[in-house]
Order: sequence, then C-alpha cells, then structure tokens
Amino acid sequence: MGPAVKELKFILSRVEQSPLSVAGIAIIVFYIALALLAPVLAPPPYGDPYMIPHERWFPTPQPPSSKHPFGTAEGQLDIYYGVVWGTRTAFRIGIWVVAVSLAIGLITGTISGYYGGVIDEVMMRFTDIIFAFPALILCMAVVAALGPGLDNVLLALVLVGWPFYTRLIRGEILRVKQEDYVEAAKAVGCSDLRVLVRHILPNSIYPVLIVATLDIGAVVLTAAALSFLGLGAPTGYADWGQMINYSQNWIWSAAGNPWQYWYVFIIPGLFIFTFVLGWNLLGDALRDVLDPTLRRR
Amino acid sequence: MENLLSIKDLVVKFYTYEGVVEAIDGANIDLKAGETLGLVGETGCGKSVTSLSVLVLVPPPGKIEGGRAILKTKGRSFDLLSQGDSFLRGIRGEEISMIFQDPRSALNPVYTVKDQVGEVFLHHRLKELCERVLDGIEKDLSKGNSLKNFIYRLERKIYRTMLKNPKSFPLKILSRIPLVKWYQRRLMNEVKKEVVRILGLMKIPDPERVAEMYPHELSGGMAQRVVIAMALGCNPELLIADEPTTNLDVTVQAQILELIRELKGKFESSVLYITHDLGVVAELCDRVAVMYAGNICELANVMEIFKNPLHPYTQALLESIPRPGKEFRTIEGEVPSLINPPQGCRFNPRCPKATELCLQRKPVLTELENDHFVACHLYAGNL
Amino acid sequence: MGLRAFIIRRLLLTIPTLIGVSLLIFAVTQMFAPEQRATLYIKDIKQIKDIDALIEKYGLNAPVYTQYFIWFGQVLSGNLGYSQTAKMPVAEAILTKFPATAELVLLSIPITILVGIYLGVQSAVHRDKIIDHITRTLSIIGWSLPTFWLGIVLLAIFFAGMGIFPPERLSSTTEDFVHSAAFIKYTGLNTIDGLLNGQLWVTWEALQHLVLPTITLVTIQIALIVRVMRSSMLEALNKGYITAARAKGLTQKEVINKHARRNALIPVITLSGLLAAGMLNGVIITETVFNINGVGRFGATAAIGIDIPAVLGFALFSCILFVSANLMVDLLYAYTDPRIRLG
Repeated sequence: MGPAVKELKFILSRVEQSPLSVAGIAIIVFYIALALLAPVLAPPPYGDPYMIPHERWFPTPQPPSSKHPFGTAEGQLDIYYGVVWGTRTAFRIGIWVVAVSLAIGLITGTISGYYGGVIDEVMMRFTDIIFAFPALILCMAVVAALGPGLDNVLLALVLVGWPFYTRLIRGEILRVKQEDYVEAAKAVGCSDLRVLVRHILPNSIYPVLIVATLDIGAVVLTAAALSFLGLGAPTGYADWGQMINYSQNWIWSAAGNPWQYWYVFIIPGLFIFTFVLGWNLLGDALRDVLDPTLRRR
Repeated sequence: MENLLSIKDLVVKFYTYEGVVEAIDGANIDLKAGETLGLVGETGCGKSVTSLSVLVLVPPPGKIEGGRAILKTKGRSFDLLSQGDSFLRGIRGEEISMIFQDPRSALNPVYTVKDQVGEVFLHHRLKELCERVLDGIEKDLSKGNSLKNFIYRLERKIYRTMLKNPKSFPLKILSRIPLVKWYQRRLMNEVKKEVVRILGLMKIPDPERVAEMYPHELSGGMAQRVVIAMALGCNPELLIADEPTTNLDVTVQAQILELIRELKGKFESSVLYITHDLGVVAELCDRVAVMYAGNICELANVMEIFKNPLHPYTQALLESIPRPGKEFRTIEGEVPSLINPPQGCRFNPRCPKATELCLQRKPVLTELENDHFVACHLYAGNL
Repeated sequence: MGLRAFIIRRLLLTIPTLIGVSLLIFAVTQMFAPEQRATLYIKDIKQIKDIDALIEKYGLNAPVYTQYFIWFGQVLSGNLGYSQTAKMPVAEAILTKFPATAELVLLSIPITILVGIYLGVQSAVHRDKIIDHITRTLSIIGWSLPTFWLGIVLLAIFFAGMGIFPPERLSSTTEDFVHSAAFIKYTGLNTIDGLLNGQLWVTWEALQHLVLPTITLVTIQIALIVRVMRSSMLEALNKGYITAARAKGLTQKEVINKHARRNALIPVITLSGLLAAGMLNGVIITETVFNINGVGRFGATAAIGIDIPAVLGFALFSCILFVSANLMVDLLYAYTDPRIRLG
C-alpha cells in the first residue's frame, strides 16, 4: 500500500498547488451543497418538486424582488427555484449518463480488448457506426423517434456515449495487456478475472477517470442544448437549458433594450456555465497531475 | 600546445519540484588544440550537462550559475558563458559542434537527411553558396536565349541581395510566396551537393539516395553517421561527442569509432569525447578527465591514468573492469542524490581512504606531476 | 504500411461504416407500422386514401431484407421522403438549404485552424508566462460555454444593444434583391455571389450577418485546438532534435516554426475529425439561434416537429459529410507524416 498512498499524497499536493484546480473543486463542492440543500433553500410548495411553481399566470417576466430573488420568467415561474432545483437535474443528468456509459464501456471494452479476435472486430465496427454520427445529431434522431422528454434525452446520451468509453478502455487494456507483470501473473496461474481485476484495471483506470470527469461537463452541455431546442425537459421543469429555451422571446421584446429581462436568460446560463467550468477545471487539473511528462517540473 | 577550450569553475543547478539539484559544482577542464579529451563518469555525474553548458544549451529548469568557458579561436579568446545569443549561434555548428547519444531522437522525423544536414550549410556558409549560385547563373546567361535570360537576370538580382543582406525584408516576403519560392532551387542544389559530399566523407554508401531519405528509413549506424555529418559539415574546431556509440550495436560501434578516428585526422578537430566506457577511452583518447557527481576528480594523459590512477574513484573504476579470472569488484554505496550532496568531497561516503578533512573541505583540482591533475586531499601534502 | 496500402485500407473501412449507418437509420424506420411509413412519402392529407397504393409502391409490406434494398434504392435515387415541416421533399430541402450552412462553415474552419494553432504555439513557447495563462483561461472558458447561450448573449450585446451584426443571412430587402432576377445565384453563398455579381454591398452585408454566428461557432472549436496544440507542442519541444537543431546554430524562431511546429501539428490533424463533428453539432444550434435558413436549423425544426423523414434524412446527410471529412483528415495525416507515407 505504501507507493499507492505516496502517489495519492503527491497528487493531492499538486492539486492543492494549482489555483485553477482548487477553484474547480470549490465550484463543484458549492453545487453539491446546493443540490443537497435544495429542499431547504427552495421548499417545493406542492406536487413534483421538479416543476417550477408559479403563483400567477402573467406572461411578462418580473424583475428580482424580495419574494422572487432572481425574478420570474414567463408565466411567473420562479427563476430562483428553477436554478436551485436545476442543480439536482444537472447532477442527475451528468452523473447518471457518465456512470452508465462508463459501466457499459467498461464491460464491452474489457471483453473486446482482452479477448480480441472476432468479438473485438465486431465491437469496433459497431462503435464505428455510432461514431459516424455527430453526437447531437444522433441524440436528436433518437429523441425524435422516441418522443421528447428528459428520460429519452438521458437514454440518447448514453447511446451516444458508451462507444467512447469502450474504445478508451479497450485501448488501455491493449496497452497494459502486453506489460510483463501481466505475463507474470498469468504464468503464476491467475485466472483471467483475477488478472483483469487485480492487475490490468488498476493500471488503466487513471486516464479513464480524467476523461469521465471532463465528460460530465460535456454531457450537461449537450443535454442543455437538447433542452434548449425543445427536445428535453418539458416547459416549467427545473432544468437550466429548458429555462433558457423559454426565455428566448424576451430578449427582443423591449425594443433597443435587450437587458430589460436579463435575469431570464443570464442567470440560468451562468449556472450552466459555472457548473461545466467546475468539472472542466477539475478534469484539467487531474490531467496535468497524472501526465508523467509534465509532472516533475 | 595551446588550450582551445578552458572550462573554469563551472556551476550548473537544476530547479526541480523536489529541490535544487546541484548538478555541476565547480568543474575545471582544459582541452588542448588538436587533442582528443575523454570525459568519463557514471550515468548522472554531469558529463552531458557539462558539454551542453559549453554551447549554453542547458535546458530549463537548469541554469548556468557560475564559471567561465573560454574558447580561443581566430586569435582571440571569448568567454562563451557571457556572450549574447547571436554570437553563440555563430559558434554553434561552426566552431563547436555536437554529436548526440541517440541518433534517432537527434533527427527530426519529418524532414529529409538533405534538409537537416543542409541546415548547417545554409546557416554558416550562405555566402559561399550564393557565390556559387551566381557563378552558375552567369554561365547560364551566356548560353540562354532572351526569355530565359530575363529570368536569369531576375534570379541574379535575388541572389545578389541574398549575398549582401540575407535578412532583407523583400527577400523574406518572397520566400513565403509558394510559386515564387522556385528561385530557391538553385541554392538547394548547391546545398545538396555539399550534403552529398559530406555524407560521402562519412563513408555512407550511395549518398545521393541517402540524402533524400527520412530518418526512420535509416539504420542506427547510418543515422549516427548522418548526425556526425551534421556536426562536421562546417569543419568545426571542437567536436563534442556525447556518448555517440552507446545506443548502437557493438559491431556498428566499432565502425563508428573507426570513422571518428579517421575524421579526427582528416578534419584536424579537437574532440571532447564523453563516455562511460573505459575501453573506448583507451582506444581513442589522448587525455582523460574523470568526473564524479558534478566534479572533476582526475585529469591526465590516458596512459598515465591507466598505469597510475591517483584518485580513489579512478582506482575503483579501473578495479571494477571485469577481467577473466579476476574477482568481480564493485564500488561500495550509491551515487549520491545531488539535491543534498555530501559535504566536502562528494566521494567521501564511498571512499575507502576518506579522512576527516574529506568530510569538511572540498578538494581542488591541482597539478601534481607532469600534466597529471587530481582533486583529492590525499595528495595535498605532496605539492 | 505504405501510403497506398493505408489509403486503400482506409477507403475500405468507410464502406461498412456507411452501410452500418444506413442499417441503423433503416432500423429506426422499422419502429413504425407500414401505414405510418407510407405517410413519410406523402405530400398532403389527400393522399391518405391512396395509402395502399403507396405501400405497394414502396414495398412496405415486403419482408425486411427486401424492404431494406428498396429503401436503399430510394435513397440512392434521391427520394428521402417528404418533409412536413419544410413542405418539400427532404432531399430538395437539404440541397437548397445547404449553401447557407456551407457559407458559415467555410468561413469558420480557416479561422478556427489559424487562430487555434497560433495561440497554441504561443502558449507552449511562452509556457507559464502571461500569454500562456490568458490563453489557457480563455480556452477553458470557451470550452465550458453553452453554444446557444453564447449566441444569445452576443445577440443581446451587439444586435439588440448596439444594432450591429444582425442575425439571419441578409436583411429582408437584400433578401428580396438576391432572389430577384437581377441577381444570379452562382453558388448560393451570398458572400461569393455578391462578388461574382459585382454587387459588393451584398457581400459586405452578408459578412456583417456572419460575424456573430461565426464567433459563436468557432469559440468552442478554438478552445479545443489550442489545448491540443499546446500540449503537443510542449511534447515536441522536449525532443532531442530540438537541442540538435539549436546546436547547429538555428535561431529560436526557426527552431519553433520549422522543427517543433511541424511535428506538433501531426496530433492536431488527427484531432480534426473531432473538429468536424463539433462543427456539425454547433451548426445546428448556431443556425437555430441566429435564424439562418440552413441544414442545421432544418434538422432542429424537424426534430421538434417529429418530422421523421426529415430527421432521418438530415442524420444520413450529416453522417455522409462526417465520414467524408474523417476520411480526408486521415489521408491528410498519412500524407504529412513521412513515417506513414513511406512505410
């Protein structure tokens, strides 16, 4: 356990030193707190907590006031409530999609990389087909076929995402498979599963983790784009992208003064931006730390 | 014999994450004109850093913090470590050249041999090449018709500008425009001729063909010959060879050594030959400097060193050369980390003859007998 | 493996991919009943009574494998169905809307490449200095921005706020002019057509309308290129041939531009495939935000309107573009790296 602990300490110390990575972690911690404290910060008045409450039906958005700290959007949807609960939505989307994609990719990639042969070839052709579609377009096609809604968006994102992890893990497995210690383990008589779990996976996992961290941000951005187009969460749902979609009309309404209703599109957008920024900063910092060529400077 | 290069009290430090590495701590080397000086030592003792310091090419996080490197050339002396960048660029490749350890990594994979060897000529021999081109143009002018002559006169104008002022602005612009760049073919032809010539001198078979090859198409030995060609292109006064045969097969090694020996004579250069192989030193060098942990311990004639090694480290090195029938001896202990080097003489932890003084004060390289220098307190009294 | 073998192998790989793509798209159509699929081909409601005839015509009751070949044949002959949202056949819609997209993309690609490479090189060469920090910060910000949000904010600042850089392709009066007989649409790209027609003000106006969409589209791409260029440049600068080049007496500038950059570009070329994907994705959002009548917006409206033939046609079209772009990138890479070119 000695060298592993020392390695961990080194990583932590490097992460501490870089202000950007500290900022990233701070942002993520902030959002985690926000998500956990959502019921406290913005108690849901009735029914489904993810549907943004509205007391009245005025179409015109109202500026921030004591009652509505971030103002209201069209139909008097409370923006503050929307962004707070939207945090939970964002985490749901990001973590769920990446976790499931990673899990699928882990299994398929490992089998493909370790056993090779026909299985490998077939899997590669399969991933090739998915890769032939630009991500957003494939998502759009899937959602169009299945119908709009957040669950279908999640499904589409997983469908688009798993081949990437398959390729990545397969690559790592191929690289590690040839190392001498794997030969040694096999020569001693370890079963395939044991070789995989104890020797190969721990050595392939680092780059995958970095990619997964960066991917959370990318997934949230894609989901927001789909919601913005109207293919994601329904109107009134606490989802950042959805809130921006709904807000588009209000930029042109007050002729010459687009900022009259600034709170309607700036605030949700800022939340998306900072959320993704946090994950990207963390992923970047991890990559800098774990990259052996850049380390000992 | 005159000293061509004198390194005095060189100090080089590396500022790394783990701390400050005191790589070279007051090294002194004198290289005489026309001689081959071997620089021997274990891996990590600072031989390469010393050679890079001469050309002021130490990569960051390394910094040259002190000392002088005095080069005597063209009747004057210069301290290389205090010269400006443009002066140094004139020296590099012209007066002092370097051969590197791994020929494959010293060659850029995306450029041909012709391009890379030719660079040396383009940089240091541009005037001669331009003059040759101009001669060629004159010949063409006398033979061609009026249309061709118009083009030739244009080319002549371009090359005359290049001769007078190679950095002129219009020339810079012309050299970027794709189609107009064709005028460079004359120059490139001359460069190619020079490249083929020098490749031939390296005993490379079919140099015309090799010139058009890319580095990955060359074998190890061939690649190293190309690297040597790059270094000797402009007939430097000092050739620094940083372990040129370490990465090659033994048979190829022998060929390259033979080549270097021949070239030494033909080009009359002085050579600073860096190696950890004492056998090569015996074959090739006139004098030897032994280096340990950033300091020069001993410097003497090659015969002297082998017959009469004075410094304990040199003695231990020679003892450890495996010989059939002899018991295998090693040097006790390990090379110290240079972040916190031992106090006093850096060899004292491993020295069988260490004394109190050795732990406190650092010995200075002093001349003992005729041209035999040692840095060891054991001989302090014999001065 | 020599260049020829590489090219052949690469070309051969494309075919099963394209077939696989078509199979996937075909599989999606099979999720609907024959009657529904027949409706994909009809223009208006009145044709519903002839639905049986349509089913016969397109063989929608035949066994699956026969259907695939019939469908494939239809696709090859240009019949992708009829788009309800665009009120014209899908193939026609894509072809007429493509020039608008092409204009935007053709302007964005060189900007992305040149700016990205330049900033990446500067960032690596001046590592840990001010320009490096600024570039890296901007790059990470650019990578985290939602494209649609950036577009909206830019519109708010510049167009709604200052009245410059309007959305869409041209103002309505100019649009009428361009469609009139006085103006010949050689390419469908307003910038180029303006020049070819001698009506430079059309080009000028088109360019003004292109400023914000281009900025929106390239920001995220430049961020990506800068990061990759920077790290590959740092790697190149560490190599032995850099020291060797310096030892020959080359200037710092020559070392960077001639030796390091050429090697650093190689990983970036392979990355250009991602760039193409990013462009195709970004175009959908950008055209929607800026109301540009291009292929991207067509796909978006089709998806929202559940216009299946349009969505599938659009997906197929994008795939073909994407696969071709990847092929070209791979060939470019093989050509540039002599280790591949000469085997």
